[in-house]
Amino acid sequence: MNATWHADPAVLASYAAEELDDVRASSLEAHLLACEHCRSVLAPMVPASQLDEMWHEISAVIDAPRVGLVEQVLVRLGVHEHVARLLAATPSLRLSWFLAEAFALGSAAVTAQNLSRTHAAGASLFVFLVLAALAPVAGVAAAFGPGVDPAYEVGIASPMRSDRLLFIRAAAVLSASLMITALAALALPDLDATVTLWLLPAVGLTFATLALATWLQPITAAAVAGLSWLFLAAIASVVSTDLLVAFGAGGQIVSVLAIVTSALVIANRHSAYEGRIPS
Amino acid sequence: MTVRADGDDTLLAAVAAGDREALAALYRRHAPWLVLRLSRRCADPGMVEEVVQDTFVAVWKGAGRYRATGEVPAWIWGIGIRRLISRLRQQRPIAIVGAQADDSTVSAEDEVLIGVEHGDLGSALGRLSPELRAVVQATVLDGLSTKEAATLLGIPQGTVKTRAARARRELREALA
Repeated sequence: MNATWHADPAVLASYAAEELDDVRASSLEAHLLACEHCRSVLAPMVPASQLDEMWHEISAVIDAPRVGLVEQVLVRLGVHEHVARLLAATPSLRLSWFLAEAFALGSAAVTAQNLSRTHAAGASLFVFLVLAALAPVAGVAAAFGPGVDPAYEVGIASPMRSDRLLFIRAAAVLSASLMITALAALALPDLDATVTLWLLPAVGLTFATLALATWLQPITAAAVAGLSWLFLAAIASVVSTDLLVAFGAGGQIVSVLAIVTSALVIANRHSAYEGRIPS
Repeated sequence: MTVRADGDDTLLAAVAAGDREALAALYRRHAPWLVLRLSRRCADPGMVEEVVQDTFVAVWKGAGRYRATGEVPAWIWGIGIRRLISRLRQQRPIAIVGAQADDSTVSAEDEVLIGVEHGDLGSALGRLSPELRAVVQATVLDGLSTKEAATLLGIPQGTVKTRAARARRELREALA
Protein backbone atom coordinates (compact mmCIF):
# COMPACT_ATOMS: atom_id res chain seq x y z
CA MET A 1 0.00 0.00 0.00
CA ASN A 2 1.27 3.42 -0.92
CA ALA A 3 2.48 5.12 2.25
CA THR A 4 1.63 8.60 0.97
CA TRP A 5 -2.00 7.73 0.32
CA HIS A 6 -4.46 8.41 3.13
CA ALA A 7 -8.16 7.84 3.48
CA ASP A 8 -10.48 10.81 3.17
CA PRO A 9 -11.53 12.03 6.65
CA ALA A 10 -15.15 11.94 5.45
CA VAL A 11 -14.74 8.25 4.58
CA LEU A 12 -13.27 7.61 8.03
CA ALA A 13 -16.18 9.45 9.65
CA SER A 14 -18.64 7.44 7.61
CA TYR A 15 -16.84 4.24 8.65
CA ALA A 16 -16.96 5.24 12.32
CA ALA A 17 -20.69 5.88 11.97
CA GLU A 18 -21.08 2.41 10.46
CA GLU A 19 -22.47 3.96 7.32
CA LEU A 20 -19.74 2.95 4.90
CA ASP A 21 -20.66 0.10 2.56
CA ASP A 22 -18.96 -3.26 2.96
CA VAL A 23 -16.62 -3.02 0.04
CA ARG A 24 -15.11 0.32 0.96
CA ALA A 25 -15.13 -0.62 4.65
CA SER A 26 -13.09 -3.74 3.89
CA SER A 27 -10.69 -1.71 1.83
CA LEU A 28 -10.36 0.83 4.61
CA GLU A 29 -9.83 -1.85 7.26
CA ALA A 30 -6.94 -3.30 5.27
CA HIS A 31 -5.45 0.17 5.00
CA LEU A 32 -5.94 0.90 8.70
CA LEU A 33 -3.84 -2.10 9.71
CA ALA A 34 -0.90 -0.55 7.91
CA CYS A 35 -1.47 3.18 8.37
CA GLU A 36 -0.80 4.84 11.69
CA HIS A 37 -1.89 8.24 10.36
CA CYS A 38 -5.40 7.08 9.42
CA ARG A 39 -5.75 5.23 12.72
CA SER A 40 -4.95 8.44 14.58
CA VAL A 41 -7.52 10.37 12.52
CA LEU A 42 -10.09 7.69 13.32
CA ALA A 43 -9.31 7.48 17.05
CA PRO A 44 -11.18 10.63 18.24
CA MET A 45 -14.35 9.33 16.58
CA VAL A 46 -14.80 6.77 19.36
CA PRO A 47 -16.20 8.45 22.51
CA ALA A 48 -13.44 9.01 25.07
CA SER A 49 -15.83 8.11 27.88
CA GLN A 50 -16.39 4.67 26.36
CA LEU A 51 -12.64 4.11 26.01
CA ASP A 52 -12.00 5.26 29.58
CA GLU A 53 -14.69 2.96 30.91
CA MET A 54 -13.20 -0.04 29.13
CA TRP A 55 -9.73 0.92 30.34
CA HIS A 56 -10.98 0.86 33.94
CA GLU A 57 -12.27 -2.67 33.41
CA ILE A 58 -8.95 -3.74 31.90
CA SER A 59 -7.05 -2.19 34.83
CA ALA A 60 -9.30 -3.99 37.28
CA VAL A 61 -8.56 -7.34 35.64
CA ILE A 62 -4.80 -6.93 35.39
CA ASP A 63 -4.59 -5.50 38.92
CA ALA A 64 -6.54 -8.37 40.45
CA PRO A 65 -4.47 -9.99 43.19
CA ARG A 66 -2.59 -13.11 42.33
CA VAL A 67 -4.15 -16.20 43.84
CA GLY A 68 -2.04 -17.52 46.72
CA LEU A 69 -0.76 -21.05 47.13
CA VAL A 70 -3.21 -22.05 49.90
CA GLU A 71 -6.10 -20.74 47.81
CA GLN A 72 -4.93 -22.58 44.68
CA VAL A 73 -4.65 -25.87 46.56
CA LEU A 74 -8.11 -25.40 48.10
CA VAL A 75 -9.70 -24.60 44.73
CA ARG A 76 -7.91 -27.60 43.22
CA LEU A 77 -9.45 -29.71 45.99
CA GLY A 78 -12.91 -28.57 44.94
CA VAL A 79 -13.54 -25.79 47.47
CA HIS A 80 -15.62 -22.93 46.06
CA GLU A 81 -13.54 -19.93 45.01
CA HIS A 82 -15.10 -17.48 47.50
CA VAL A 83 -14.82 -19.94 50.38
CA ALA A 84 -11.20 -20.61 49.44
CA ARG A 85 -10.49 -16.86 49.46
CA LEU A 86 -11.92 -16.46 52.96
CA LEU A 87 -10.13 -19.55 54.21
CA ALA A 88 -6.84 -18.35 52.79
CA ALA A 89 -7.42 -15.00 54.49
CA THR A 90 -7.72 -16.74 57.86
CA PRO A 91 -4.56 -15.68 59.71
CA SER A 92 -4.06 -19.06 61.34
CA LEU A 93 -4.07 -20.68 57.91
CA ARG A 94 -0.99 -18.72 56.95
CA LEU A 95 2.32 -20.41 56.48
CA SER A 96 3.93 -18.40 59.28
CA TRP A 97 1.32 -19.62 61.72
CA PHE A 98 1.83 -23.23 60.64
CA LEU A 99 5.56 -22.85 61.08
CA ALA A 100 5.17 -21.31 64.55
CA GLU A 101 2.86 -24.08 65.64
CA ALA A 102 5.07 -26.80 64.17
CA PHE A 103 8.09 -25.23 65.85
CA ALA A 104 6.43 -24.99 69.29
CA LEU A 105 5.08 -28.53 69.26
CA GLY A 106 8.16 -29.94 67.57
CA SER A 107 10.46 -28.50 70.20
CA ALA A 108 8.19 -29.80 72.96
CA ALA A 109 8.34 -33.27 71.39
CA VAL A 110 12.11 -33.13 70.86
CA THR A 111 12.60 -31.99 74.46
CA ALA A 112 10.51 -34.94 75.60
CA GLN A 113 12.73 -37.15 73.43
CA ASN A 114 15.92 -35.77 75.00
CA LEU A 115 14.58 -36.09 78.52
CA SER A 116 13.12 -39.54 77.99
CA ARG A 117 15.93 -41.25 79.95
CA THR A 118 15.58 -38.89 82.92
CA HIS A 119 13.01 -38.35 85.65
CA ALA A 120 11.67 -35.30 83.77
CA ALA A 121 10.33 -37.43 80.92
CA GLY A 122 6.79 -37.42 82.29
CA ALA A 123 6.87 -33.66 82.78
CA SER A 124 7.93 -32.97 79.19
CA LEU A 125 5.26 -35.30 77.82
CA PHE A 126 2.77 -33.40 79.99
CA VAL A 127 3.92 -30.09 78.51
CA PHE A 128 3.61 -31.48 74.99
CA LEU A 129 0.08 -32.79 75.57
CA VAL A 130 -1.12 -29.55 77.18
CA LEU A 131 0.32 -27.50 74.31
CA ALA A 132 -1.11 -29.87 71.73
CA ALA A 133 -4.57 -29.49 73.22
CA LEU A 134 -4.23 -25.68 73.22
CA ALA A 135 -2.89 -25.29 69.67
CA PRO A 136 -6.20 -25.38 67.77
CA VAL A 137 -7.81 -23.08 70.36
CA ALA A 138 -5.11 -20.48 69.76
CA GLY A 139 -5.62 -20.99 66.04
CA VAL A 140 -9.36 -20.40 66.24
CA ALA A 141 -8.84 -17.34 68.42
CA ALA A 142 -6.34 -15.94 65.94
CA ALA A 143 -8.67 -16.62 63.06
CA PHE A 144 -11.30 -14.12 64.10
CA GLY A 145 -11.59 -10.64 65.41
CA PRO A 146 -10.42 -7.15 64.59
CA GLY A 147 -6.70 -6.61 64.76
CA VAL A 148 -5.78 -10.15 63.81
CA ASP A 149 -8.10 -10.86 60.89
CA PRO A 150 -7.17 -9.04 57.65
CA ALA A 151 -10.54 -10.11 56.23
CA TYR A 152 -12.41 -8.67 59.23
CA GLU A 153 -14.16 -5.91 57.27
CA VAL A 154 -14.86 -8.28 54.39
CA GLY A 155 -16.33 -10.80 56.80
CA ILE A 156 -18.61 -8.22 58.43
CA ALA A 157 -19.95 -7.28 55.01
CA SER A 158 -19.99 -10.84 53.70
CA PRO A 159 -23.35 -11.98 52.38
CA MET A 160 -22.61 -15.43 53.77
CA ARG A 161 -24.11 -16.14 57.17
CA SER A 162 -21.66 -15.47 59.99
CA ASP A 163 -22.17 -18.83 61.67
CA ARG A 164 -21.64 -20.81 58.49
CA LEU A 165 -18.44 -18.99 57.67
CA LEU A 166 -17.28 -19.27 61.28
CA PHE A 167 -17.73 -23.04 61.18
CA ILE A 168 -15.98 -23.39 57.83
CA ARG A 169 -12.99 -21.44 59.05
CA ALA A 170 -12.94 -23.09 62.49
CA ALA A 171 -13.10 -26.55 60.88
CA ALA A 172 -10.25 -25.64 58.54
CA VAL A 173 -8.11 -24.31 61.39
CA LEU A 174 -8.91 -27.31 63.60
CA SER A 175 -8.06 -29.92 60.96
CA ALA A 176 -4.86 -28.14 59.90
CA SER A 177 -3.82 -27.84 63.53
CA LEU A 178 -4.61 -31.47 64.28
CA MET A 179 -2.48 -32.62 61.35
CA ILE A 180 0.51 -30.59 62.50
CA THR A 181 0.17 -31.83 66.07
CA ALA A 182 -0.10 -35.43 64.87
CA LEU A 183 3.11 -34.98 62.87
CA ALA A 184 4.87 -33.42 65.86
CA ALA A 185 3.71 -36.29 68.04
CA LEU A 186 5.71 -38.66 65.85
CA ALA A 187 8.83 -37.08 67.37
CA LEU A 188 7.82 -38.21 70.85
CA PRO A 189 10.04 -40.85 72.48
CA ASP A 190 7.47 -43.58 72.99
CA LEU A 191 5.03 -44.00 70.15
CA ASP A 192 2.29 -45.63 72.18
CA ALA A 193 -1.30 -44.65 72.97
CA THR A 194 -0.16 -41.68 75.07
CA VAL A 195 0.76 -39.65 71.96
CA THR A 196 -2.91 -39.50 70.96
CA LEU A 197 -4.21 -38.37 74.35
CA TRP A 198 -4.33 -34.71 73.34
CA LEU A 199 -6.84 -35.29 70.53
CA LEU A 200 -10.15 -35.28 72.44
CA PRO A 201 -9.12 -32.41 74.77
CA ALA A 202 -8.06 -30.39 71.72
CA VAL A 203 -11.40 -30.88 69.96
CA GLY A 204 -13.27 -30.32 73.25
CA LEU A 205 -11.48 -27.03 73.89
CA THR A 206 -12.13 -25.83 70.34
CA PHE A 207 -15.84 -26.58 70.67
CA ALA A 208 -15.94 -24.92 74.08
CA THR A 209 -14.30 -21.82 72.60
CA LEU A 210 -16.89 -21.65 69.82
CA ALA A 211 -19.69 -22.13 72.36
CA LEU A 212 -18.31 -19.39 74.63
CA ALA A 213 -17.95 -17.15 71.58
CA THR A 214 -21.75 -16.97 71.40
CA TRP A 215 -21.45 -14.75 74.50
CA LEU A 216 -17.88 -13.44 74.37
CA GLN A 217 -15.46 -12.08 71.79
CA PRO A 218 -13.62 -15.01 70.18
CA ILE A 219 -10.27 -14.03 71.70
CA THR A 220 -11.79 -13.71 75.18
CA ALA A 221 -13.59 -17.02 74.71
CA ALA A 222 -10.36 -18.73 73.70
CA ALA A 223 -8.55 -17.21 76.68
CA VAL A 224 -11.26 -18.36 79.11
CA ALA A 225 -11.30 -21.90 77.68
CA GLY A 226 -7.52 -22.16 77.41
CA LEU A 227 -6.73 -20.79 80.88
CA SER A 228 -9.42 -22.96 82.51
CA TRP A 229 -7.88 -25.95 80.78
CA LEU A 230 -4.36 -25.05 81.97
CA PHE A 231 -5.64 -24.47 85.50
CA LEU A 232 -7.60 -27.76 85.67
CA ALA A 233 -4.74 -29.79 84.18
CA ALA A 234 -2.26 -28.29 86.63
CA ILE A 235 -4.53 -28.77 89.66
CA ALA A 236 -5.27 -32.36 88.65
CA SER A 237 -1.60 -33.23 88.23
CA VAL A 238 -0.72 -31.70 91.59
CA VAL A 239 -3.57 -33.38 93.46
CA SER A 240 -3.03 -36.76 91.86
CA THR A 241 0.20 -38.73 91.92
CA ASP A 242 -0.15 -39.26 88.18
CA LEU A 243 1.08 -36.25 86.23
CA LEU A 244 -1.01 -37.16 83.20
CA VAL A 245 -4.26 -37.58 85.12
CA ALA A 246 -5.92 -34.82 83.07
CA PHE A 247 -5.43 -37.01 80.01
CA GLY A 248 -6.67 -40.19 81.75
CA ALA A 249 -10.05 -41.83 81.32
CA GLY A 250 -11.72 -39.09 83.39
CA GLY A 251 -10.15 -36.34 81.32
CA GLN A 252 -11.18 -38.00 78.07
CA ILE A 253 -14.79 -38.39 79.28
CA VAL A 254 -14.86 -34.73 80.37
CA SER A 255 -13.61 -33.82 76.90
CA VAL A 256 -16.39 -35.78 75.19
CA LEU A 257 -18.94 -34.15 77.52
CA ALA A 258 -17.48 -30.75 76.65
CA ILE A 259 -17.84 -31.50 72.93
CA VAL A 260 -21.48 -32.59 73.31
CA THR A 261 -22.47 -29.70 75.61
CA SER A 262 -20.74 -27.13 73.42
CA ALA A 263 -22.34 -28.55 70.28
CA LEU A 264 -25.76 -28.17 71.93
CA VAL A 265 -24.98 -24.59 72.96
CA ILE A 266 -23.78 -23.75 69.45
CA ALA A 267 -26.86 -25.36 67.89
CA ASN A 268 -29.13 -23.25 70.11
CA ARG A 269 -27.25 -20.00 69.99
CA HIS A 270 -25.57 -19.90 66.57
CA SER A 271 -27.62 -16.85 65.56
CA ALA A 272 -25.74 -14.89 68.25
CA TYR A 273 -22.68 -14.84 65.95
CA GLU A 274 -24.51 -12.78 63.35
CA GLY A 275 -23.07 -9.32 62.80
CA ARG A 276 -20.84 -9.65 65.86
CA ILE A 277 -18.40 -12.37 64.89
CA PRO A 278 -16.84 -11.22 61.68
CA SER A 279 -15.94 -14.65 60.38
CA MET B 1 -1.66 8.63 30.81
CA THR B 2 1.30 10.25 29.16
CA VAL B 3 1.60 10.17 25.42
CA ARG B 4 4.51 8.02 24.32
CA ALA B 5 6.10 8.34 20.95
CA ASP B 6 7.69 4.88 21.02
CA GLY B 7 6.98 2.44 18.23
CA ASP B 8 4.47 -0.35 18.71
CA ASP B 9 7.20 -2.98 18.90
CA THR B 10 9.01 -1.01 21.63
CA LEU B 11 5.78 -0.54 23.56
CA LEU B 12 4.91 -4.22 23.29
CA ALA B 13 8.36 -5.18 24.59
CA ALA B 14 7.77 -2.85 27.55
CA VAL B 15 4.36 -4.44 28.14
CA ALA B 16 6.03 -7.85 28.18
CA ALA B 17 8.31 -6.49 30.91
CA GLY B 18 5.27 -5.44 32.96
CA ASP B 19 5.03 -1.76 32.03
CA ARG B 20 1.45 -0.61 32.66
CA GLU B 21 2.01 2.78 31.01
CA ALA B 22 3.10 1.05 27.82
CA LEU B 23 -0.13 -0.95 27.80
CA ALA B 24 -2.09 2.28 28.30
CA ALA B 25 -0.27 3.82 25.34
CA LEU B 26 -1.00 0.80 23.14
CA TYR B 27 -4.62 0.93 24.25
CA ARG B 28 -4.96 4.60 23.34
CA ARG B 29 -3.50 3.87 19.94
CA HIS B 30 -5.30 0.69 19.03
CA ALA B 31 -8.52 0.41 21.03
CA PRO B 32 -10.49 2.93 18.88
CA TRP B 33 -10.14 1.21 15.52
CA LEU B 34 -10.59 -2.17 17.19
CA VAL B 35 -13.90 -1.00 18.69
CA LEU B 36 -15.11 0.21 15.28
CA ARG B 37 -13.92 -2.83 13.36
CA LEU B 38 -15.49 -5.25 15.84
CA SER B 39 -18.71 -3.20 15.84
CA ARG B 40 -19.09 -3.95 12.14
CA ARG B 41 -19.05 -7.66 12.95
CA CYS B 42 -21.10 -7.75 16.12
CA ALA B 43 -24.32 -5.82 16.69
CA ASP B 44 -24.12 -6.04 20.48
CA PRO B 45 -22.13 -3.03 21.80
CA GLY B 46 -21.78 -4.67 25.21
CA MET B 47 -20.15 -7.70 23.67
CA VAL B 48 -17.83 -5.54 21.59
CA GLU B 49 -16.67 -3.79 24.76
CA GLU B 50 -16.07 -7.08 26.52
CA VAL B 51 -14.10 -8.37 23.55
CA VAL B 52 -11.92 -5.23 23.46
CA GLN B 53 -11.27 -5.63 27.20
CA ASP B 54 -10.47 -9.34 26.74
CA THR B 55 -8.14 -8.45 23.91
CA PHE B 56 -6.06 -5.97 25.88
CA VAL B 57 -5.93 -8.24 28.90
CA ALA B 58 -4.64 -10.91 26.50
CA VAL B 59 -2.11 -8.41 25.12
CA TRP B 60 -0.98 -7.72 28.71
CA LYS B 61 -0.55 -11.40 29.47
CA GLY B 62 0.70 -12.49 26.07
CA ALA B 63 2.95 -9.61 25.02
CA GLY B 64 5.93 -11.90 25.53
CA ARG B 65 4.61 -14.21 22.84
CA TYR B 66 4.68 -11.51 20.16
CA ARG B 67 7.53 -12.51 17.90
CA ALA B 68 7.43 -9.57 15.46
CA THR B 69 5.90 -11.94 12.94
CA GLY B 70 3.87 -9.08 11.54
CA GLU B 71 2.65 -5.65 12.34
CA VAL B 72 1.36 -5.09 15.86
CA PRO B 73 -2.11 -3.93 14.66
CA ALA B 74 -2.54 -7.18 12.71
CA TRP B 75 -1.49 -9.14 15.77
CA ILE B 76 -4.01 -7.26 17.95
CA TRP B 77 -6.73 -7.74 15.34
CA GLY B 78 -5.98 -11.47 15.27
CA ILE B 79 -6.50 -11.64 19.04
CA GLY B 80 -9.62 -9.46 18.90
CA ILE B 81 -11.46 -11.32 16.15
CA ARG B 82 -10.76 -14.67 17.80
CA ARG B 83 -11.95 -13.40 21.16
CA LEU B 84 -15.12 -12.24 19.43
CA ILE B 85 -15.59 -15.66 17.90
CA SER B 86 -15.11 -17.47 21.19
CA ARG B 87 -17.66 -15.13 22.78
CA LEU B 88 -20.07 -15.78 19.94
CA ARG B 89 -19.55 -19.51 20.38
CA GLN B 90 -20.88 -19.18 23.93
CA GLN B 91 -23.83 -17.11 22.79
CA ARG B 92 -25.66 -17.05 19.48
CA PRO B 93 -25.16 -13.82 17.57
CA ILE B 94 -28.03 -11.36 17.85
CA ALA B 95 -27.53 -10.02 14.37
CA ILE B 96 -24.74 -9.63 11.91
CA VAL B 97 -23.95 -6.12 10.88
CA GLY B 98 -22.58 -5.57 7.44
CA ALA B 99 -25.52 -6.64 5.33
CA GLN B 100 -27.14 -3.21 5.28
CA ALA B 101 -28.37 -1.72 2.03
CA ASP B 102 -25.96 0.59 0.27
CA ASP B 103 -27.92 3.82 0.62
CA SER B 104 -25.07 6.15 1.43
CA THR B 105 -24.50 8.81 -1.16
CA VAL B 106 -21.22 8.22 -2.91
CA SER B 107 -19.01 11.28 -3.12
CA ALA B 108 -16.49 11.88 -5.84
CA GLU B 109 -13.66 11.25 -3.40
CA ASP B 110 -15.14 7.91 -2.47
CA GLU B 111 -15.33 6.94 -6.12
CA VAL B 112 -11.65 7.78 -6.45
CA LEU B 113 -10.82 5.82 -3.33
CA ILE B 114 -12.53 2.74 -4.69
CA GLY B 115 -10.86 3.25 -8.05
CA VAL B 116 -7.42 3.54 -6.49
CA GLU B 117 -7.86 0.69 -4.07
CA HIS B 118 -9.80 -1.90 -5.98
CA GLY B 119 -10.74 -0.86 -9.45
CA ASP B 120 -12.80 -3.59 -11.03
CA LEU B 121 -12.51 -5.79 -7.94
CA GLY B 122 -14.28 -3.15 -5.86
CA SER B 123 -17.31 -3.00 -8.11
CA ALA B 124 -17.28 -6.78 -8.48
CA LEU B 125 -17.37 -7.16 -4.71
CA GLY B 126 -20.09 -4.56 -4.57
CA ARG B 127 -22.27 -6.62 -6.89
CA LEU B 128 -22.10 -9.69 -4.66
CA SER B 129 -25.14 -10.36 -2.50
CA PRO B 130 -24.67 -9.27 1.15
CA GLU B 131 -24.52 -12.95 2.23
CA LEU B 132 -21.71 -13.78 -0.20
CA ARG B 133 -19.88 -10.56 0.62
CA ALA B 134 -19.99 -11.35 4.34
CA VAL B 135 -18.35 -14.72 3.66
CA VAL B 136 -15.65 -13.16 1.49
CA GLN B 137 -15.05 -10.54 4.15
CA ALA B 138 -14.71 -13.13 6.91
CA THR B 139 -12.58 -15.65 5.07
CA VAL B 140 -10.44 -13.53 2.75
CA LEU B 141 -10.18 -10.13 4.40
CA ASP B 142 -10.36 -11.13 8.07
CA GLY B 143 -8.33 -14.26 7.43
CA LEU B 144 -10.64 -16.58 9.36
CA SER B 145 -10.91 -20.34 8.95
CA THR B 146 -14.16 -21.86 7.67
CA LYS B 147 -15.07 -22.86 11.21
CA GLU B 148 -14.37 -19.42 12.65
CA ALA B 149 -16.26 -17.69 9.84
CA ALA B 150 -19.21 -20.02 10.47
CA THR B 151 -19.29 -19.01 14.14
CA LEU B 152 -18.92 -15.32 13.35
CA LEU B 153 -21.69 -15.32 10.76
CA GLY B 154 -23.93 -17.74 12.64
CA ILE B 155 -24.28 -20.16 9.72
CA PRO B 156 -23.18 -23.80 9.27
CA GLN B 157 -19.66 -24.52 8.02
CA GLY B 158 -21.00 -26.16 4.88
CA THR B 159 -22.86 -22.98 4.01
CA VAL B 160 -19.65 -20.97 4.39
CA LYS B 161 -17.93 -23.29 1.92
CA THR B 162 -20.71 -23.21 -0.69
CA ARG B 163 -21.08 -19.44 -0.40
CA ALA B 164 -17.31 -18.95 -0.68
CA ALA B 165 -17.28 -21.10 -3.82
CA ARG B 166 -20.20 -19.20 -5.29
CA ALA B 167 -18.56 -15.86 -4.46
CA ARG B 168 -15.34 -16.99 -6.13
CA ARG B 169 -17.27 -18.02 -9.25
CA GLU B 170 -19.18 -14.74 -9.44
CA LEU B 171 -16.02 -12.69 -8.89
CA ARG B 172 -14.16 -14.63 -11.57
CA GLU B 173 -17.00 -14.02 -14.05
CA ALA B 174 -17.16 -10.31 -13.15
CA LEU B 175 -13.42 -9.87 -13.59
CA ALA B 176 -13.10 -11.95 -16.74
